[in-house]
Amino acid sequence: MTLAMFRVMWLELVRDRAALAMTFVLPSIVFLIFSAVFSGATGTDVRLKVSVADVAHTAGSARLTKALLADKALRAELATPQTQGAATAAVRSGADDAGLVITSDPAAPGTPILILSDPSRAVAAPLTEARTRDAMQHALPDELLARTLRDIGPAIGPLTPGQQLNVQLAEQTARTDPASTPAVPPLVLHQDVLLARKGGANIAYYAGAVMILFALFAAGHGALTLLDERRTGVADRILAGPAGMAPVVSGKFLFLLAQGVGQAAVIFATAQIVFAVPVIQHAGLWLATTVAASAAAGGLALGAISLCRTREQGQMLSTFMVLVLAALGGAMVPRFLMPPWLQSLSWWTPHAWVIEAYQGLLWRDESASALYNAWIVLACIGVAGLVVAQLAARRLRT
Amino acid sequence: MIAGDQGAILKVDRVSHAFGARQALRGVSLEVGGGEIYTLLGPNGAGKTTLVRTICGRLKPAGGTVRIAGRDPFADPRARAALGLTPQALALYPWLGVAENLQAFGRLAGLKGDTLRTAVTDAMAVTHLTDRARTPVRHLSGGYQRRANIAAAILARPRLLILDEPTVGVDLGAREAVGEVLKALRAEGVAILLVTHDLDQAVTLADRVGFLRDGEKVVEGAPATLIADAFGARMEVEVALRVGPDSAMALRLTGEGLTPGRESGAWTCLAADGYARAAELAARLGDLEVREIRVRRPSLEQLVARMAGERRAA
Repeated sequence: MTLAMFRVMWLELVRDRAALAMTFVLPSIVFLIFSAVFSGATGTDVRLKVSVADVAHTAGSARLTKALLADKALRAELATPQTQGAATAAVRSGADDAGLVITSDPAAPGTPILILSDPSRAVAAPLTEARTRDAMQHALPDELLARTLRDIGPAIGPLTPGQQLNVQLAEQTARTDPASTPAVPPLVLHQDVLLARKGGANIAYYAGAVMILFALFAAGHGALTLLDERRTGVADRILAGPAGMAPVVSGKFLFLLAQGVGQAAVIFATAQIVFAVPVIQHAGLWLATTVAASAAAGGLALGAISLCRTREQGQMLSTFMVLVLAALGGAMVPRFLMPPWLQSLSWWTPHAWVIEAYQGLLWRDESASALYNAWIVLACIGVAGLVVAQLAARRLRT
Repeated sequence: MIAGDQGAILKVDRVSHAFGARQALRGVSLEVGGGEIYTLLGPNGAGKTTLVRTICGRLKPAGGTVRIAGRDPFADPRARAALGLTPQALALYPWLGVAENLQAFGRLAGLKGDTLRTAVTDAMAVTHLTDRARTPVRHLSGGYQRRANIAAAILARPRLLILDEPTVGVDLGAREAVGEVLKALRAEGVAILLVTHDLDQAVTLADRVGFLRDGEKVVEGAPATLIADAFGARMEVEVALRVGPDSAMALRLTGEGLTPGRESGAWTCLAADGYARAAELAARLGDLEVREIRVRRPSLEQLVARMAGERRAA
């Protein structure tokens, strides 16, 4: 009896070409879009658009301007005209992410650089400052040396004539051939914790995020058939028979689980083919995680929809559930960018568990012992939803 | 008295039920035998739906008993296995073909293998759907959809078939097709409980009719017997006006003992000598714009209208 309902759900999906495409094609497209958008936003491909205004008009400020315009990590352009007002207007209008005004020679006393930013793009200011420091270090080492000596002068006292001569020589060398300047050890070093692999962390993250997003979306759509069956009298017909609605609910759960696994297969195949995410290499753990995630999506959708009385209620609840859980669970914005209280709250969504499980197995090469917590939580969500749906179906009889 | 020849399949004995303070059923009793079509009539809110839900085992009656083939449908799944229900709405999966729908409902009714295949084939044969077996239900005409709706209810060869408004919203041809299916099922010995507002269908098909009002069964019997009991030898005289009467005309018509009929501008009365009364009315109402005056035997419609009138008077 359970398989009869599985077959009905399958045939209805296969015959409805639009629904079929939305279930299995759309997730891959959205995954590619999400990956492109968010891997850029949170990875190393951020290229801010910066409006540069040189109002100092010195040799040093001209060199810094030239260095910023040449920096491939920025999309710097000259403000027109070269005034603080023009740079401010560019940032205020949203045309540029940040503005950079060189108010005096970089080697001169005081603060020679002003960075303009809009609070809605607050992260642009520190990123622009970091790029400016990098440009100073590589393109204007002489100016940096002069500033440093001036800054430490009060602490070390006047230089001897010999030291002054050495400084002049060093500044001259740095000015004429910046590349030959002896490398100064940087204060901070960056090191990836997973040296063996480059790229793909965000892809693995968003493959999991899109998987659970669409599994829940499609499960909600499938679960709505429970309400259609009540409306059209199919439920009355079945309830008048000996079996009741229990096999109907079980059949739908089984189908939604299989549908989730199918969707995940398409999404992760795309991830493997396009982004070389190692899915096949973790096939066993991937399958266990996918089954648990699909069970959670199917159970949650069935449980929630079974509590609704009309299709309108069901559609509203389903949409609300998909959007809110995706936002809270990190399927839209990475969880590490959320405030701590939201990160804690996100563990109450299946999305956070699904995303962490997929990242764990695909990016951090975690074993089953590190993943079983997620599997248990997801399986419990699925079973709880199924129980709610079965109880609601039992109440339907009377 | 049961009209069928195979004993009572459905026995409803003094069933009562209330929803809060509202008494939906008040000691209703009825029996439907094998090979009998029993039509349940009554206005909206009379308790028909509650009675059907009780018979289907969806409600436990507060008082009285329901038995299908000797078993309680609320407590015993075997009783429900002997029951087929055709809901008012099209209770089918629209993207599936006719045969696929029947297979699904057959499996949900517990049929398997050859038994299922035979049941699907037989159900399509009885409802004349064999040549539409692969057509998706959403592509069928209204009449074929109604047949498929019945076919899904007879898969498990139910001894009792309940149909809730099986012809609502369909054309004459589809209604006749459904009627033919029901006659065929009756011939096979199925007990049929037909809930409908379609009085013509009730007269055409029903062996017996029961009229439910305010949760009580007020009359029951063969349509012809009920009409004869209610009206005796009296005839119905109908005066059809060209235009609807104003208040003064309506007062005159009422004074002549006429009451408004079903159609607009039609007024009726009963008379022992219908033709003499018709001639009398023609003479007395000659100054009104009378289109025609008809004399005919009272129908089930008059009986229903009379009972509705009694309710209003009460």
